[in-house]
Amino acid sequence: MAAKKLTTEEILARARAQVGSGSGSTPSADDTSSAPEPAADSPAAESEAAEPAASPSEGTPAAAGKKTPASTADILAMARAQKKGGAAAKPAAASAEKPAASAKPAGAGKTPTSTSDILARARAQAKGGAAPAAAKPAAAAAKPAAKKPAAAGAAGERPTVAEMVKAVRSDAPAPAAKPAGPVTPPLPSRRPPVVQKKEPQQSRRGFLRSTVGLLASPFAAAWILFSGATMAATLGLARYMMPNVLVEPPTTFKIGPPGDYPPGVVSTKWKAQFGIWVVQTVYEGENIIYALSTVCTHLGCTPNWLEGEQKFKCPCHGSGFYINGINFEGPAPRPLERYGIRLAEDGMLEVNKSVKFQQELGQWEDAASFVSVV
Amino acid sequence: MLDPHPDLTSGVIYGLGWLYLLLFLLNVGWTRRSYRQDGHLHLPDLFGGTEFPAATLWATYSVVLLMLALAHLTGFSTPEGFLIRMPVFARQMIDSVLADARFFFLLSVVLFALMIIWRRWLLKPTVAWCLFNLAVLFMTLSLTDYDFRQIVGKPDNVPIVGMLYIVGFFTWLYFSRAVENDDRIAKGLPKVEEENNEKVLVWPDLVYTELICMVVLTVVLVGWGIALQAPLEEPASSVKTPNPSKAPWYFLGLQEMLVYFDPWLAGVVFPSVILVGLMAIPYIDFNPKGNGYYTFNERKFAIITFMFGFLPLWIGMIILGTFLRGPNWNIFGIYEYWDVHKLELLNNVNLSEWFWLSMLNTGMPMPGPEDSGLVQTGKILLRESPGLILVLVYLIALPPLMAVTIFRKFFFRLGFLRYMVFSNLVLMMAALPIKMVLRWTVNLKYLVAIPEWFFNI
Repeated sequence: MAAKKLTTEEILARARAQVGSGSGSTPSADDTSSAPEPAADSPAAESEAAEPAASPSEGTPAAAGKKTPASTADILAMARAQKKGGAAAKPAAASAEKPAASAKPAGAGKTPTSTSDILARARAQAKGGAAPAAAKPAAAAAKPAAKKPAAAGAAGERPTVAEMVKAVRSDAPAPAAKPAGPVTPPLPSRRPPVVQKKEPQQSRRGFLRSTVGLLASPFAAAWILFSGATMAATLGLARYMMPNVLVEPPTTFKIGPPGDYPPGVVSTKWKAQFGIWVVQTVYEGENIIYALSTVCTHLGCTPNWLEGEQKFKCPCHGSGFYINGINFEGPAPRPLERYGIRLAEDGMLEVNKSVKFQQELGQWEDAASFVSVV
Repeated sequence: MLDPHPDLTSGVIYGLGWLYLLLFLLNVGWTRRSYRQDGHLHLPDLFGGTEFPAATLWATYSVVLLMLALAHLTGFSTPEGFLIRMPVFARQMIDSVLADARFFFLLSVVLFALMIIWRRWLLKPTVAWCLFNLAVLFMTLSLTDYDFRQIVGKPDNVPIVGMLYIVGFFTWLYFSRAVENDDRIAKGLPKVEEENNEKVLVWPDLVYTELICMVVLTVVLVGWGIALQAPLEEPASSVKTPNPSKAPWYFLGLQEMLVYFDPWLAGVVFPSVILVGLMAIPYIDFNPKGNGYYTFNERKFAIITFMFGFLPLWIGMIILGTFLRGPNWNIFGIYEYWDVHKLELLNNVNLSEWFWLSMLNTGMPMPGPEDSGLVQTGKILLRESPGLILVLVYLIALPPLMAVTIFRKFFFRLGFLRYMVFSNLVLMMAALPIKMVLRWTVNLKYLVAIPEWFFNI
């Protein structure tokens, strides 16, 4: 509201409104009124329209053109007005006149009606009244009173400018002393208060009807639709979690005859497809073939078999495992796991990934975890 | 013969030329500042004892930079014969230090200590400018190495290089504010933050600053997005892991912790302790000073502890993970070729193995499959008893011991419960470097190794 000091932005906006108000905006003056409502917040666009409306109401009787300009602000304003042309000259000059005008009523002792009026006057007194050089702030201060009407004008039912001027004249004898402020135009007629109808006694039929009415109201309908849609989406999501087709490699598969896996060699050919290494090596004095899981026992990365170093090495945290799967470097806490393996009836090796054997639990002793090679 | 990994190419030399030119321009500005502010230097009487402006040195340095820039910008057509490059012996020296985690960590701790001891000297504008110049020159010279470019120029890593410079700058900024306030407090003057704090300038000061930051950030992000390609790799496969396989840069500290600890500890317990511990700081902190202003002297312990956790332990681990960890998670020097077959002997031993096998020369008490559950548990606990006792002593006996020795004051100020929380947080934090150093020096794998229960410390 207007109860604050004017900020730089507001002053600028007003100055612009002052400059920019040309002949084009004059017609809008008919619609506006000068109701004394605090309206410092109105944007510049509104004040542009409001400015010429306010100016005639104050400035016309003051014979603005004749007066010698007193301050820099006045001179500037006049120069700008001249540049704009004939139609613009009058309002601009009038606005330059305002400091003097607004300063006066403060001395006249007229009762201010609203906060903004009081403030406007105080400012006018402090600045415009004392020194003509400070005319601009004072002019700006006088304006809030005239601004809101531009917005309010659309509502109609307001006094026209002519009426306003008339009212102002009849109210104050001195023709020059007129900031729009103190004039109190008739308030717009308020909407008559809604008379609460007396609630009829609730009957069964009435109750049913009101229930149906509630359910049929757009608000309820929207909520019902929303809940329904949410529920459908949830169900759809639940259905989505159960895919129609699940592509998983079989847990039991043949990997060829034992002769495919020569001693001391790590076969990586099933790594990509099944995630196993097939190794034939000597473990605890026995020549065996086993299937190692390719999952690092530290954090689950896939180690690489390094032929030159004869070790499995994990690229994530540097765990290392010997060819038999025993961990020896890095953070892996336990050996790689073995999967079940057996020699099938047709002489092929068959790996069963649904069972696993952990060394630290002593499960590598289990005959299902390896195939002996003679 | 064409070298597939050339240290210098025309593009590199040309780009470095522009970098030197930029550094030259910066130093021209610095020379101007120095001429106005730095005053004169005395030559020793041996050389005539004359006076000359300090800016002369900067002007000379700037001219050298300009000549370097011109040499790069004109001589880029023959990269093979171009002489301005990092000397091989310097590369080997730096590599031999950095490629050893022990030296790297020692270096980071020493630098951290020196930074705090010499903070007053480091804050002098001339010293700071020298450090900045050295950092940039180190970068430009290092960029003449092929392997260094491969690491630093990776789209993933470019922002980390930027981050290092930013961390350096902000640490410097903190110390400069803190030292100024410390001086003011010593003289009884009001702190910087207490002067002119009657009003906060919002418009246009703050709003314009924010706007400019917003615009600059947007420009940087767009430029980044255009200049550096997204580090996309081949389609993911559960059985193919990139080698080395690196976490995003901000998790490299965690990844480095995972090298020394079990996943549940390094991946769950420690991050939780870090977060909860940071949240607990306001409740533990009894020092009312340092609220709302920069200071170092008034809360040395808190700041040194935090900075140690942040700089050598977090940022240092990010550097280690980004620039030094290579294939198979081995440590490589910054100028070293990333050889997949680099052999690093890391035969780690658990404490229990060392205790029972090397020290007592007896067999380890291993639980047999035929033992009952209770006997198995007893055997496991017996096997790991040295480590368990050590860990329990560390976490239970040390806090009271510290309470009567180094943390006397803390114990009285905090009270029993808060002191226990505080001391355990400090011990947890110290556990990381302790374990790292044990791994690097004596190849200790786990203090307590119970793979049967997924419990390793």
